Amino acid sequence: MAKKYDAIIIGGGHNGLICAAYLAKAGKDVLVLEKRHIVGGAAVTEEIYPGFKFSVCSYVVSLFRPHIVRELNLAQHGYDIIPMDSSFQPLHNDVGLCRWGDGARSRREIARFSKHDSEVYGEFGKVMTHMARLAKEVIDHPAPDVASINPKELASLLRMGKVFKNLGPEMLQMNTKLLTMSSADFLDLWFESEVLKGPMAVSGVIGTFLGVRSPGTAYVLLHHYMGELDGAFRSWGFSKGGTGGVSDACASAARSYGVEIRTEVAVSHVKIVNGKAKGVVLANGDEIESKIVISNLDPNRTYLKMIGENNLDADITTEIKRFKMRGSSGKVNFALSGLPQFCKGREGDEYMRGDIAIVPNVDYLEKAYDQAKYGEFSERPFINIVIPSLTDPTLAPPGKHVMSCFVQYAPFDIKEGPEHWPQLSEKFGDAVQATIKEYVPDFDSLVLHRQVVTPWDMQETFGLTEGNIFQGELTLEQLLFQRPIAGYAKYKTPIDGLWMCGSGTHPGGGIMGSGGELSAKTILNDKAI
Amino acid sequence: MPIGTPFHERTEEHCKNKDWKDWAGFFTANSYNVVNDFEYFAFRHSAGLIDITPLFKYKITGADSGSFLSRLMTKDISKLRLNQATYCCWCDNRGMVVDDGTVMRLEENEYFVTAADPSYSWFNRFVKTSDVTIEDVTETMCGLAIQGPTSRDILKKMCDADLDNLKFFWTTKAKVDGADFFISRTGYTGDLGYEVWTENENAIKLFDAIWAAGKGYNIRMAGIAALDVARIEAGLVMNGVDYHSSLHALTPAQMSTPYELGLGWTVNLERDSFMGQKALKKEKKEGSKWATVGLDINWPELEEIFNEHNLAPHTAAGAWRDSIPVYHRDDVTRQIGYATSGTWSPAVKKNIAMATIEAAYAKPGTKVNFEVTVEHQRRTVSAIVEKPQFFNPERKRSNPKK
Amino acid sequence: MSKVDVIVIGGGHNGLTTATMLAKKGKSVVLLEKRNILGGIAAGEEFHPGYSTSGLLHDTSAVRSNVIKELGLEGHGLVVKNTRPTVSILADDGRSIELNGDTATAAQNIAKISEKDGKAYTDYRAFLDKISKVINDLFDNPPPGIDVENLTMSSLVMLAKKGLALKGLGKKTMLELLKVTPMCLNDFLSEKFETEFLKAGIAGPAIYGTYAGPWSAYSTVNLLIWECAARNTIIGGPQALVEALEKAAKQAGVTIRTEAEVEKILLDDNDDEKVKGVRLKGGEVIEATTIAASCTPKITFLELFDPFEIDYDLDYWIDKVRSRGTTAKVNIALNKQLELNGAAVEFARTGNTFDEMEKSFDPVKYREITTAPILDIHVPSMSNAGLAPSGHSVVSVLVHHAPYNFEAGWSEEEKSKLKDSVLKQLEKYSPGIYDAVEGVEVLSPLDLESRYSLTEGHIYHGEHFVDQLVTRPIPSCAQYDTPIKGLYLCGSGSHPGGGITCAPGSFAAKAILK
Repeated sequence: MAKKYDAIIIGGGHNGLICAAYLAKAGKDVLVLEKRHIVGGAAVTEEIYPGFKFSVCSYVVSLFRPHIVRELNLAQHGYDIIPMDSSFQPLHNDVGLCRWGDGARSRREIARFSKHDSEVYGEFGKVMTHMARLAKEVIDHPAPDVASINPKELASLLRMGKVFKNLGPEMLQMNTKLLTMSSADFLDLWFESEVLKGPMAVSGVIGTFLGVRSPGTAYVLLHHYMGELDGAFRSWGFSKGGTGGVSDACASAARSYGVEIRTEVAVSHVKIVNGKAKGVVLANGDEIESKIVISNLDPNRTYLKMIGENNLDADITTEIKRFKMRGSSGKVNFALSGLPQFCKGREGDEYMRGDIAIVPNVDYLEKAYDQAKYGEFSERPFINIVIPSLTDPTLAPPGKHVMSCFVQYAPFDIKEGPEHWPQLSEKFGDAVQATIKEYVPDFDSLVLHRQVVTPWDMQETFGLTEGNIFQGELTLEQLLFQRPIAGYAKYKTPIDGLWMCGSGTHPGGGIMGSGGELSAKTILNDKAI
Repeated sequence: MPIGTPFHERTEEHCKNKDWKDWAGFFTANSYNVVNDFEYFAFRHSAGLIDITPLFKYKITGADSGSFLSRLMTKDISKLRLNQATYCCWCDNRGMVVDDGTVMRLEENEYFVTAADPSYSWFNRFVKTSDVTIEDVTETMCGLAIQGPTSRDILKKMCDADLDNLKFFWTTKAKVDGADFFISRTGYTGDLGYEVWTENENAIKLFDAIWAAGKGYNIRMAGIAALDVARIEAGLVMNGVDYHSSLHALTPAQMSTPYELGLGWTVNLERDSFMGQKALKKEKKEGSKWATVGLDINWPELEEIFNEHNLAPHTAAGAWRDSIPVYHRDDVTRQIGYATSGTWSPAVKKNIAMATIEAAYAKPGTKVNFEVTVEHQRRTVSAIVEKPQFFNPERKRSNPKK
Repeated sequence: MSKVDVIVIGGGHNGLTTATMLAKKGKSVVLLEKRNILGGIAAGEEFHPGYSTSGLLHDTSAVRSNVIKELGLEGHGLVVKNTRPTVSILADDGRSIELNGDTATAAQNIAKISEKDGKAYTDYRAFLDKISKVINDLFDNPPPGIDVENLTMSSLVMLAKKGLALKGLGKKTMLELLKVTPMCLNDFLSEKFETEFLKAGIAGPAIYGTYAGPWSAYSTVNLLIWECAARNTIIGGPQALVEALEKAAKQAGVTIRTEAEVEKILLDDNDDEKVKGVRLKGGEVIEATTIAASCTPKITFLELFDPFEIDYDLDYWIDKVRSRGTTAKVNIALNKQLELNGAAVEFARTGNTFDEMEKSFDPVKYREITTAPILDIHVPSMSNAGLAPSGHSVVSVLVHHAPYNFEAGWSEEEKSKLKDSVLKQLEKYSPGIYDAVEGVEVLSPLDLESRYSLTEGHIYHGEHFVDQLVTRPIPSCAQYDTPIKGLYLCGSGSHPGGGITCAPGSFAAKAILK
């Protein structure tokens, strides 16, 4: 008789590992099954080219919840984040715009484009940080069910209400605007410079199939003001050793609590008997039993593959199919023989140690989106570049560098058909390289190796349906009590004993760990095992 | 990274201890020597020279500039005569202070405004259709403050301006070696003193002329550490230290009105409407919640606490800028306010502080309790509420007798 | 210097509504109109010798029944049918669907093209019927006030109870409503229908006058609101409404003055937060303690007051109201009866596909204009033969999207280009139209601004977008009164918004009487 686990987690992404760690910490017997040879899901470091370590997909860390780090002792397991100090935006025939941690320095940089903007920039950051407290309240708790009048749900609404109340009427108005407006329109309330608004607006659309002029993108701007590193509200950082470092720390913590992790084990589907999950069936036909099953996969895969339509009501199937997954981005990773110079007019490499955003203005970004709307990848895309080897020398041989480019837009549903992405892959890589060349003329000569990750690759290799990096778009109708679908937003599924813990659940994507944490806590609270 | 002011190549030579601070994005000497008491004493006995370039500076021009400023400022700027200067603050329409600074009328329709915070966007927001142009001259103009009893003689020696007749808070134009600059009889030390302003390209010329003229009058470079001591003695509040601009405050509790800051005297309430007037009228009628006061901290009691530890009493060198709780005289668990900055005052030989306390306790002579930390233990000593201005020499305002 | 109880600024349909309602309650009311005719965007005008329009806008289907009743407009000659007008949805391949006001007929017409869509349309209307009460409540009542300062447990329970009222919809409908409101039209309608040009045609009214394409999130909100609010047909169009309103106003005793342009709202000498009256161009002063402004919020606060007269946060927020005009008007005098895709119709919409609609919006973002605009067509001469010589027709076209903020500038040349693009579009549906054209009037958004005092040429006095609905135009003015005592807003810039409904005018009158 094979062993029966308390819980089996399908998928060893960071959320799956965190969920496992919390359950094991509570004394449960947990097994994590990962299809690939390494754990981490989209948060992995891989040596694609000898001597060069790439954060293949996810590349910066900001929103990882600090209490998870504390509760799981992740620092002892190697969780180590190096903060980023600057954000540089190269421009043609100009030294570009670099925003720094040093307020006065940023003010001088911005004043070159708008005196007004340079002065309200700091103000804006303060207001956003202030409002981000609200968002923090939302992401650190399971989503209250607005349709319910259960006192518990009301109390949770009240808690949010209190934060609202303290904001005052002006802030409340600002908040409505923030929740509904487009990021470009919202920034127009503050700023006048199209140059400055470009890189600021872009944070509203990362990972979504929306443009900066699309309503409903403004609130995502908050994410930039929500990041907490080292106890301070600071924005972004690199994980030491690449983003895989975060996953490795989670895995190590999980193992320390007794979690068993098996890689290269693909799950075919969940074993369902009389509407109840009893374990999993592996691709090779083997079965493993457990009291409950937790899926770290996206909602589409969880419902349609792990459960299967035949086990679902037609209504539920319809709702899950309505859940939008449209991937919109790609990654291009370069191994470089030397350091590219994005700006001749600036000395040293200090300005390149943070992120480099190729987004000269708002129109550029919107035009990139317009192309994607009609099924093409952007000829001149938004590219967010980081060269983490500048701050973390373990990633590349001395003097050489890894450069990671997040590229938007690359719609999964390309007009030739998504299955044609493999043929378009190099063309896409060329477009990215050509865009970079506009700022770094000798870029081609530095490239030792290029890895192109298209939305198709994200689906096929990393199991992200339609290449959506957040396991489902972060639009308002897919958040909170509607993530992934109304009625099953609290990590439950219609199948008794089958739970979810991935980014496709509240509060959503990015390396936050919240899905893993909140699902585990909900499972323990419900005494499901 | 901060940048040097146009005086940097000179101040750098003087700054022996490399004690630089970042003041609004400029390198500014906090002190010029490890032992910096002499910088303070220069203010009170001879002359101290401070680079005040980092102040935000604006030129406001146009036919409506006077009425425009009157609308913004608590003081009726339209009453300001040519070459006159004034100190005032400006509020938002809740009557909460945005910033404070000096306004100088340099020409019929040209005003020069200094501010602690960047203010271009705030001022510009109200220009609308009026004939007003706001020019930010923060990075194109520079300034030196020369403060102390010999400052007049030094300036008289270096230029031909009629300083004997330049009254407190008036300005005059002057030339040095062909370069134009202007002098305002203003300052932040509460002593006789002047501030001189010019275009960046004249900076070194101006500096050298003052320095040469000052040789015989014991002129000294002074850093902001010394300035802090002087301004606390003089009871001058500081934006960002003793109060927060309402534009930066995140909650109403962090904001202050001019009355609460002891700047009620800068408010001309009965006149055409100005920003915050309605709220200020209401406050004037109904009374303020808070008051800014000086505290005379009881020295013998402090000495006694040190005695318990077999130590001689001592205070921090120079001024401090921490928030220290102030308690009720009879109940040390009831906090009635907080001190925001303080210093040992060499001028009045007292341990003093500037504090924000509930208005009910603001009457001079009121006894309160003040928290002190001696040998890692928190204790309280008594303190007497005073007006914030401890030091106000006659020479500050007077002119030489003819 | 004269003195009255109430001054109404602007003689559009909302101004007339407010003035008449107040006069009927015994107030002395003077209504001041800048132009020489009444009606504002609802006024019919001659644009070519012998040819007149029946109003800048076409749609009278959302005129509130209770206003018609309260003002006794039917007694003043207004003829109202309680069905929505029939609109022809045009495809550029020659097909068209008559979207009848009657659902069953419309569904049958759709089924001829696609059986699935015929059925889907019935379901779609059934969903609308279910939510109609919730939405019409919004239209038939002033906006709910939310007291932020007192957001407590009890007010939350109140909100929860309102949620329960929403629950009257049934949990499924409520969840569906919550689900679809943030959606874009493309997502929302593509879930339901398969015929591209039908989807585009249904979506039309939700796009008109917005800074959005069918791909823009929240565009579904506008569709749901319009679909639920549109219930009537006024015979003779907007102009007929204006005529009835004018008669009602005169009968109620409103003093109507045209060519009376308000230059400034005057504040009380002793209280600078209270109105005293207005000063007209030319210097005449009229005193009143109540002023109802039906002009745009931006004109009201930013032009009729001096800088500094009002609190900066009031004019700051008013300044931030978005009213980016995207609509132009082309009036065509035609020497024959217009046929579109082979049929003579009074109302028609083009769009063809969501991609084409979106592409007509795309250039707006870059301050450019499309060469293939979407058209909202009205042939008023169909039901009012007097607007054109016998056998001829008037074709009134609202053109989307034409940006107010147009980089090239709205020169005569650009207007002529716009005329050509419109005629080129029409030629697809009505071959040979060029030869029948007697005259064309092109009104760019800039012209709309100068003729109708529409800030940035925005036909609705401010965009219909979530943050500008309900708390319209801004929270502190959302209940028709303003922080300035005695000053009320009664135009399209207030809840429930623009288009010809008379609702803001009537709510403002009620707020004033309170």
